[in-house]
Amino acid sequence: MSIFEYNGSAVVAMVGKNCFAIASDRRLGVNLQTIATDFQRIFKIHDKLYIGLSGLATDVQTLYQRLIFRHKLYQLREERDMKPQTFASLVSALLYEKRFGPYFCMPVIAGLGDDDAPFICTMDCIGAKELAKDFVVSGTASESLYGACESMYKPNMEPEELFETISQALLSSVDRDCLSGWGGHVLLVTPTEVQERTLKGRMD
Amino acid sequence: MGDSQYSFSLTTFSPSGKLVQIEHALTAVGSGQTSLGIKASNGVVIATEKKLPSILVDETSVQKIQLMTTNIGVVYSGMGPDSRVLVRKSRKQAQQYFRLYKEAIPVTQLVRETAAVMQEFTQSGGVRPFGVSLLIAGYDDNGPQLYQVDPSGSYFSWKASAMGKNVSNAKTFLEKRYTEDMELDDAVHTAILTLKEGFQGQISGKNIEIGIIGADRKFRVLTPAEIDDYLAEVE
Amino acid sequence: MKLDLSGLQSFTSIPGGAVDGLGEDIFAAPSFQLPACSDFDGFQKDAIQMVKPAKGTTTLAFIFKEGVIVAADSRASMGGYISSQSVKKIIEINPYMLGTMAGGAADCQFWHRNLGIKCRLHELANKRRISVTGASKLLANILYSYRGMGLSVGTMIAGWDEKGPGLYYVDSEGGRLKGTRFSVGSGSPYAYGVLDSGYRFDMPVEEAAELARRAIYHATFRDGASGGVASVYHVGPDGWKKLSGDDVGELHYKYYPVAPTPVEQEMTDAPAA
Repeated sequence: MSIFEYNGSAVVAMVGKNCFAIASDRRLGVNLQTIATDFQRIFKIHDKLYIGLSGLATDVQTLYQRLIFRHKLYQLREERDMKPQTFASLVSALLYEKRFGPYFCMPVIAGLGDDDAPFICTMDCIGAKELAKDFVVSGTASESLYGACESMYKPNMEPEELFETISQALLSSVDRDCLSGWGGHVLLVTPTEVQERTLKGRMD
Repeated sequence: MGDSQYSFSLTTFSPSGKLVQIEHALTAVGSGQTSLGIKASNGVVIATEKKLPSILVDETSVQKIQLMTTNIGVVYSGMGPDSRVLVRKSRKQAQQYFRLYKEAIPVTQLVRETAAVMQEFTQSGGVRPFGVSLLIAGYDDNGPQLYQVDPSGSYFSWKASAMGKNVSNAKTFLEKRYTEDMELDDAVHTAILTLKEGFQGQISGKNIEIGIIGADRKFRVLTPAEIDDYLAEVE
Repeated sequence: MKLDLSGLQSFTSIPGGAVDGLGEDIFAAPSFQLPACSDFDGFQKDAIQMVKPAKGTTTLAFIFKEGVIVAADSRASMGGYISSQSVKKIIEINPYMLGTMAGGAADCQFWHRNLGIKCRLHELANKRRISVTGASKLLANILYSYRGMGLSVGTMIAGWDEKGPGLYYVDSEGGRLKGTRFSVGSGSPYAYGVLDSGYRFDMPVEEAAELARRAIYHATFRDGASGGVASVYHVGPDGWKKLSGDDVGELHYKYYPVAPTPVEQEMTDAPAA
């Protein structure tokens, strides 16, 4: 079994009208054994920028700590928050630094940039950026997530509909994956507010 | 150890709390050719004298104003070779920043990095401070900016500044002429007039250099022909 | 090449039964065409990989005062992919006997059906139902004859016969164990935990069924490869009866109700070092 599947994960981000949503499952497992059902995979970088990290849990936490460290240094040095695009480049550079011994994580980055334009992107574990206008997915449930998003996504959704769509996409996808699920975690970000919700899901 | 028994090592303070080598470096800058910069409402201009040691020198081979990035230019007063070391290091910094963030380095960041290098050379062993002061002109998301960096590593943002020979005269002149709502063309005129003030001999496109950056965020060194046009306007 | 398995037959063919050439096939032990290739072992290895069975399962069965309880989840998975959430893992061999399914779905289904036929034939030939002991031995013998050829079966045969409740564990490695409490599949360790701590011989049927349900539920919670529906059967003197089939997705919130949390929560910052 691949090291990417050791802990199991599902992460997805979607763009709506002047807003975005990012969601993940809550399982932490060791292969098929479920260890915890309150694991965090989505992290806040600043008020309008979030990163979801799928893959190996230990690397998720290490990478998150390094990213927070780098972002805080940036904030101190430049007296501003990073733009999502800039942050994506930073993540990409940090990942490629470990080209021959990578972090076993695949990031999903979502944020609101200048003029509150939504930005989403994903990467492989060595930093190859992939930008998308609609949605990005990552994790052991990525195939099902692609299917769910492909059929449920509509452009220019309002925040409420976006929340409903991303939640349904996540929950239905993880129901086809042994290694992810056990509840969900959704963040809905608009220019004025951030809503965080925990989803009840199948616990098997 | 001519002037002071405390100048044997630049990392040693004199009892009066001075690092004498830095004072010397400032003296070197003070005796260098005059340079000045003016921040206008829609751009920045930097200018300098380009007096050559002999009329036999090919003046087209001397470039005192240089680009650090496409949107940041720099001019120095003091020792030419020292400035080239700094420019090389700063350009590298700018490229490293770009490689990391895929975004042009902000002027403040580049100034800070450059100043940090200059400071390092006031505290490290086996080196001497840079015998130059720099005027860095750039235009980024924060608008037009003008910075002066001194051999000590200290730096300030200026509306208009001058350095080198005739500093005080030039600064007095700038203080009189500067207005907040000045446009780039006016700033170029003012820069020329300021240089003209203390200029020995006939000013021309060949013995001064002017660099400008406007809202297009492209730093450009004016050609002698362009300078001559401006000179004609000033007459 | 054909495997001759006639020696494994538990009964001799009915005299005169094989006249039309049809009867013979029915009574003969199943046999399979073997691949005609030089490297049989290598081929076998590849073939096993190709039909790599769905392994994730939780099944359990136990004997108590009032008979046997048999329970199972209903998930079928291929690697990490959940191919079905509604698999029947408890196979009804006859009205008095149940088999459980763990390992390869096809292997289990085929050999249980085959066992069903044999049991029925035994009943016809001997005018009485086959014992659980006998049935499990039939299956174990067949599986043993295919040992090393890639069959994947982990099953429990549970039923009620003349001697009362019976329970056997049989697997494709040739093992056959008599016992009062078994659990088979990737979720079995979790099920055993619940089962062993809650088991008493003199339970009423309701308590036994609830214990089985809880055990399956807990296994589906911890084991990624188990899930779906927790089915519970009871086998008593009058044969088996399905007691329940609960979606564990709902069962979880029945066992652990969640108080609705306030909609808005602020994400906390990383704790300061």
